[in-house]
Amino acid sequence: MAGPQPLGEHQSLNFRRKLLAVFTLTVVLSVAGVALLVSAMTRRAFARNEDERSAALRAQFQREFDAQGKEIARRLEAVATSDPVAHMAALLNHSSSESAGYFDLAKSLAENYELDFLEFVDANGTIVSSAQWPAKFGYPETAFANLTPFAGQPSFLKQEELQDTSVLGLFAVRATRIPDHPLYVIGGRRLDKNFLATLNLPDTRVLLYQNQPDNRSAESLIDPSSIDPSKAAHTTDKLIPLINATREARAEMTAIIHWSSDAADDEMFHAIPLRGKVNSQPLLGILLIGNSRRSYVELERRIRASALLVGGGGIVLAILLSSWAAARVTRPVERLAQAAQEVAAGNWSARVAVEGNDELSQLADSFNRMTAELLNQKERLLQAERVAAWRELARRLAHELKNPLFPLQLTVENLLRARQNSPEQFDEVFRESSATLLAEISNLKAIIGRFSEFSKMPQPQLQPTDMNELLRGIAQLFRAQLQAPGRKPIESILDLDENLRQVPADPDLLHRALSNLVLNAMDAMPEGGTLTLRTRKKEDSIVIEIADTGSGLTPEECERIFTPYYTSKQHGTGLGLAIVQSVVSDHNGTITVHSEPGKGTRFVIGLPGNPEPSRPADAQQARVIDSGAK
Amino acid sequence: MKLCGFQWLVASSVLLVALVASADTRPQYGGTLQVSVREALTSLDPTDTTQPDSFARRNLIPLIFETLVTTDDSGHIRPLLATSWRPLNGNQRWQFRMRSGVKFSDGATLTPGIAAASLRLANSSWKIVSDGDSIIIECDVLCSHLPEELALLCNAIVKKADDGKLNGTGPFHIADWQSGKKLVLSAEENYWAGRPFLDAIEIEFGKGYREQLVSLEMGKSDLIEISAEQSHRISTASHRSSTSEPLELLALAFTRDAQSPEEKSLREALALSIERASIGNVILQGAGKPAASILPDWISGYAFAFSTETDLTRARHLRDEVRTASPWTIAYDPADPLAGLLAERIALNARDAGLQLQPTKSAVADLRVVRIPLLSDPVMALAKVAASVGLPPSQIDSNSAEALYSAERELLATQKLIPLFHLPVVYAATPALQDWSPRLDGMWNLADTWLARNPSGSINP
Repeated sequence: MAGPQPLGEHQSLNFRRKLLAVFTLTVVLSVAGVALLVSAMTRRAFARNEDERSAALRAQFQREFDAQGKEIARRLEAVATSDPVAHMAALLNHSSSESAGYFDLAKSLAENYELDFLEFVDANGTIVSSAQWPAKFGYPETAFANLTPFAGQPSFLKQEELQDTSVLGLFAVRATRIPDHPLYVIGGRRLDKNFLATLNLPDTRVLLYQNQPDNRSAESLIDPSSIDPSKAAHTTDKLIPLINATREARAEMTAIIHWSSDAADDEMFHAIPLRGKVNSQPLLGILLIGNSRRSYVELERRIRASALLVGGGGIVLAILLSSWAAARVTRPVERLAQAAQEVAAGNWSARVAVEGNDELSQLADSFNRMTAELLNQKERLLQAERVAAWRELARRLAHELKNPLFPLQLTVENLLRARQNSPEQFDEVFRESSATLLAEISNLKAIIGRFSEFSKMPQPQLQPTDMNELLRGIAQLFRAQLQAPGRKPIESILDLDENLRQVPADPDLLHRALSNLVLNAMDAMPEGGTLTLRTRKKEDSIVIEIADTGSGLTPEECERIFTPYYTSKQHGTGLGLAIVQSVVSDHNGTITVHSEPGKGTRFVIGLPGNPEPSRPADAQQARVIDSGAK
Repeated sequence: MKLCGFQWLVASSVLLVALVASADTRPQYGGTLQVSVREALTSLDPTDTTQPDSFARRNLIPLIFETLVTTDDSGHIRPLLATSWRPLNGNQRWQFRMRSGVKFSDGATLTPGIAAASLRLANSSWKIVSDGDSIIIECDVLCSHLPEELALLCNAIVKKADDGKLNGTGPFHIADWQSGKKLVLSAEENYWAGRPFLDAIEIEFGKGYREQLVSLEMGKSDLIEISAEQSHRISTASHRSSTSEPLELLALAFTRDAQSPEEKSLREALALSIERASIGNVILQGAGKPAASILPDWISGYAFAFSTETDLTRARHLRDEVRTASPWTIAYDPADPLAGLLAERIALNARDAGLQLQPTKSAVADLRVVRIPLLSDPVMALAKVAASVGLPPSQIDSNSAEALYSAERELLATQKLIPLFHLPVVYAATPALQDWSPRLDGMWNLADTWLARNPSGSINP
């Protein structure tokens, strides 16, 4: 009963695990689905919020930018109407050669009015004074023709050429109130760190990329928050793809910039192309408004962590619940399986407790009814077999006893007839009849002795036994009979595995059993043949084969050949093979027969290498297996 | 009686006014003159040739140390510590008779031996010996301009004490010296030419032009320097300004010799592209004279022969003849506001000619904007300019204008120097500073100046 149990447990556990896995998977998928859904919804909400915030920032930037432009225009107006400028304009109106004395006026006024750029350009477009490039006096203002129409207009972006570079600035143009030869005041502020710092944009940083086609160095990118050149270079490298995309598209672009492996450091950058007054002009620059994604990423992380926590807790809870539910579902099934295994093991009285009224309870009830019916049928069958056995025994006994009784009856009748009819010969008849009677009585005693012997099979006395040696002894014992004159010779073959080790066995009982098989083989080969005695090792057991090349057995004979009192021979008692089977079974071994009519018969005995002491249950199991072998 | 008394009163008043007026014009002893200069002198040793030449150095050092001879504002040699001199054995050997009764600030008497020893330290190649009341100087080559050379500051007679203190024979001696910051000079009571009127002179170094002007306006300085381009803005109502003859050469100096004919062409193109007139009118506000020569006309008399006109066409042509022209860097003194602007303008002009010049404040550059103080003696001036650009002095055998012209042409032909302007030196002084009139060569004469007392009796207003 101990062997098959783990198999049943394993199967029931598998079923429970499968059920558990299905439950758990369902919960995990549900939790994951919910988490993904929440995450996606959060992301979408954040993206929408990000877009709205970006739009607000851009609008605010535009307002700030316009405010700065108005301030510049206001300062330019103040410069244009200031006394020194009015005086200079009046003087230059009469004589342009008087400009030399004013060449540094722009610088001082630019300082006073906090302007980065300030130029006075006469009506001919000649620079009278320049704050940003003082040495450029007397040179023509290259953009003069384009700039004068903007006198009095709002501010605009312009690329200003300086001595060794060009920079982007927010400019305005004003003209003095002298109609004949007006003096133009062109000035503005440089879009540098200071300018960008004046843009009051909360929680953002504003960078400016000056579009200089041949200069993409870190100097082209103005970052008010960066003072470290190496960091500025790093910033430029990161932003270059967005800048290039914006330059090519000439439209607003958005990208997430990953500053480090930490996603919380990411920034959402909106690139806004800056154009001059004419859209066909090359881009003057690109304004980059960076918005930290830290709050979003951290919130997303919190949501993810919460989802993981809730999901994990849900999964654990689901596993517990699933385990409970699976146990509840599988427990009746396990009981059924266990009961079925018990039934399979021969315990026909196994029953399953019936609880509730569900399908499993009905199944258990049906199983109980089925086993009860099977038990009844088995009882009936056993009874029938017992009756049949008794009948067979009675028939055999009657047959066996009838044979000697008939001579006894004839002898007694012969004695009675001799005394009555031939008294003179009575003594002689009596003497002969007495001999006959004694012989038949002896025969009867022999028959009764064999039956008695079958009923008194001794328990094996196990000792280390060399099977090869045992078979050699048997072969030696029967050698003379195999080659006996008057009968067809039988060739004896010993095919022994010399590597066999000794096994615990009762050599006397086995000798009797194997001798019986040899005798049967000899009986099966009246015309001679080959008797093969073979041993071999099979895993932890040894196998003994006794094979002949005799007449063989039919399948029906094979099925019944180990049944006591069954014999296929004319003068057999039918107990020989039953005894053999009993001996093998007492050694926890098995015996099977393989035969085909006309080709011979082969008995295969399997003996365990280390048999445990014989127990009734084991014996029964052996019988069960033997029955199966048949 | 009343009338007679009134007449006496009038007569007394007139006499008093006349006496007061007479007292105002008579030199007065005492007072401390406050001077501010832009230069930050770090050494007062006249023999220290590592110190850059400057007008401040030229004006201050002679107050402490004197040379054997000196030059007047016309460039003529005048006696100082030597009363007479004469060449011996041609122009290679000279005898200088020393003035007697001259004492150093430490009380020691100036002897020919001390003077010879001092000169030997400054001129190792000369053989100098004392001979009675004279010293004999023998040059290794003909030295017809030895008196002019001895008038140079580096040949001042210095007596170094064991503790390193410097003693001179000048009208003032060092009372306090803070290198690069401040110098206080006290009047030498036993000066051989008579005690100076001023008790002391306090000089503050390293003051910018604007700072000096503010100091003058606030009465903290009596004598200041004025940048030439700002001279027209000085109020003549409250101050006296003095402008010398053009004494300073503003030029571009290449740091190395031209390596090839192509480079010479490029240098010539640069020289032709510079708009001297425009720069002079605007940046210098007319204070400087455009120059293509080293020496100003008042010294040489032939400066007009060097054209200062811009020839952009020729400049471009010269540039185009050269296949490749690497950019040049042009350095300027960041403390000189004029130099930076000038460098930028020249870079702009050069760009018109196809040349690339990058102004820089770095000490390492292809060329520099330089200010070279000139000497009134043309030969010495040329030699000094040549030395300042790393060229050997020209050998000028005679004092003829032709020889001088040839020497200057030869110097300019090296193309290490592009003259731009001749600038005057401008000073402004408080009206209290009397008998002060800088010479044509910009030299002060503070030994003879004095400070007028204000009506309250104090000297400095």
